[in-house]
Amino acid sequence: MKTTKTVNFEKLAAQLDSVKADIKSKLGEQDAKYIRRIIVCQRVFEWSGRILLMLGFIQPVLWLVGVLSLATAKILDNMEIGHNVMHGQYDWMNDKYINSKSYEWDIACDGASWNRVHNYEHHTYTNIIGKDRDFGYGLLRLSNDFRWRVKNLWQFVTYLLLSVLFQWGVSYHEMAAERVFFGKKKGDRDYTVSHSELKKRFFSKGARQLVKDYLLFPLLAGPLFLWVLTGNLAANLLRNLWTSTIIFCGHFTGEVETFNQQDCENESQGQWYYRQALGSSNIKGGNLFHVMTGHLSYQIEHHLFPDLPAKRYREIAPKVQAIFKEHGIHYNTGGFFRQYFSVVKRIVRYSFP
Amino acid sequence: MRALLNSLSKHLLHHQSWSGYWEPVVQCFKPGWREGYFRAQVKHVQVFSEQSVELVIEPEKAWPVHQAGQHIALTIQTNGRLLTRVFTIASEPQLARQQRQIRLLIRSQEFGAFTSKLTNLRSGQWLNISEPKGQFVMPNTARSLIMLAGGSGITPFIAMLKSLPADSKHTITLLYYAKPNSHWLKDELEQLKQSLSNFDYHLLERNKDGDATTWLTTNAHKHWLVCGPAALYKQAAALAKQLNTPIDSEHFSAVPAVLATSDKHELTLTHQGKTFTIDNQQTLLTHLQANKQPVTVGCGMGICHQCQCVKKQGIVRDIRTGELSDSSEQLIQLCISQPVSDVELSA
Repeated sequence: MKTTKTVNFEKLAAQLDSVKADIKSKLGEQDAKYIRRIIVCQRVFEWSGRILLMLGFIQPVLWLVGVLSLATAKILDNMEIGHNVMHGQYDWMNDKYINSKSYEWDIACDGASWNRVHNYEHHTYTNIIGKDRDFGYGLLRLSNDFRWRVKNLWQFVTYLLLSVLFQWGVSYHEMAAERVFFGKKKGDRDYTVSHSELKKRFFSKGARQLVKDYLLFPLLAGPLFLWVLTGNLAANLLRNLWTSTIIFCGHFTGEVETFNQQDCENESQGQWYYRQALGSSNIKGGNLFHVMTGHLSYQIEHHLFPDLPAKRYREIAPKVQAIFKEHGIHYNTGGFFRQYFSVVKRIVRYSFP
Repeated sequence: MRALLNSLSKHLLHHQSWSGYWEPVVQCFKPGWREGYFRAQVKHVQVFSEQSVELVIEPEKAWPVHQAGQHIALTIQTNGRLLTRVFTIASEPQLARQQRQIRLLIRSQEFGAFTSKLTNLRSGQWLNISEPKGQFVMPNTARSLIMLAGGSGITPFIAMLKSLPADSKHTITLLYYAKPNSHWLKDELEQLKQSLSNFDYHLLERNKDGDATTWLTTNAHKHWLVCGPAALYKQAAALAKQLNTPIDSEHFSAVPAVLATSDKHELTLTHQGKTFTIDNQQTLLTHLQANKQPVTVGCGMGICHQCQCVKKQGIVRDIRTGELSDSSEQLIQLCISQPVSDVELSA
């Protein structure tokens, strides 16, 4: 590891394990009620949004409110519901619809594909260059682990484009990483899914999303086709920009560290926790902000305990911070603008050799 | 219409069912409403002794009334978790038709995860039930009947007897085995004896009265109905085969769990209809891989949920926390689940 500090990994693991056990024992009614309430909010925002978009011809402000409402619904579905439910955070409820096995979200990326790359690779091998294919998404050079190329010169523009099309980036991620269409195939990968299956999933989920937002709902609106189409486009754009920004702030701030493959060989639980801690960063904010980020504003807690219900990260955070302090581990947190600026700086910094 | 909505919901809303998509919203107005279940309201909960709980519930109007002897799956939400168990209805269909009520008599189980929660139910609360299920009902026969009940296996017989008209021509003998001083509903049985002319019953204890072999052998010309533990059924079934006697039965075999995980025990694993012999020393994932079963594998440490599957039956232990699972349907991660009883996984 790059940090040469000596940490008492055993003690660290024991302390963090006990934080986790404490929350696990408290899970119950309150958490189940919370996620159901969020789902109710999502439904209400989504359908009021869709209806308001059609009323734009009466008063354009209604259209604007509709866009915001639909975008809110999409963000909730993506972050607080989809991301968290698919992490298995609510599997203990035994609810046949609120669990990681059956949940599918309202974005272009097929849930199973995301689960493989995000839940498995990214969360197990966080920031290990060569294993965690989330680091830079193969598009951006964000550390000296990668050789500089000329295309890195304009990677800030690449980043902006990625943000605009973020759901498609997420969707294409596994295929790009498996080099389904372009590039050299790596011989050493264990393919759990065939390339044809990946393609099928990519195109079928993507097509459904396109048909739904840009054909079917606009057609339902009849003469107001364009109102609804542009409204859906705007809502998707807002959601893409928001999720991309939050995710970049959680993973690519200036101080986030990377690791190499030796770091995770025979890794103990404590070392694993330590790597998670150094590979992510938090964003400070109010209640509403945390809900809208799916509590990924508590990215550190999320990486330590990916399957604890995300709302619980709020009460764990001070304990985690205290434990980090005791071990001299940096707890990377800051206001939204500070963290975002740090991300931008990192992208620009590594644009150059 | 329903099929159309479901298909729309599947393709556009990414939800398997249209009503399921709206479920959390509907629950705001109709507490306890759940797609695929019937609603029922708790009317009365009574704890008889430390062994038994009586639960009277009022199913919603759409619930199809049961036939005496049938059972339902009862689902309660306790501390945010949904738990399901199967119970025989211990009341007659007339009660359900006239007063829209059914009664369940429930024995506290060793692991008590479910039954202990029942005593916390309050009248007015909503829970979910399935439609009535099962083939164990009064047989259409001219023969006299022997009812053989073991422990909580008395419940279907109570329902059957109560549903008989007073002028019933059936000659029925009930043999009711239970532990000393733990026969249920003695008063009701006595009342039934008074009101039904051809009914008689015997309260028996295994230690005092021996097993049912003598009773059954001397009544080989009758039709046997058996409900109780698997051991009781096995014995009666073997005898019935030998004597060529008609027999209907219902038996609930509670899977005995291995408690000391340090001792090696042989268990059975059912996966996609295939059965394997496994032991309790390794995780289910290791066993499935050793048996060359197709499983999705991920991190192997319980983080990524790739190897998740639905456990239909059986108890597993979380190797990280030592926590035991529920015995009914539940999502588990294979890589951190150690079997402690026979386990059935869904495909």
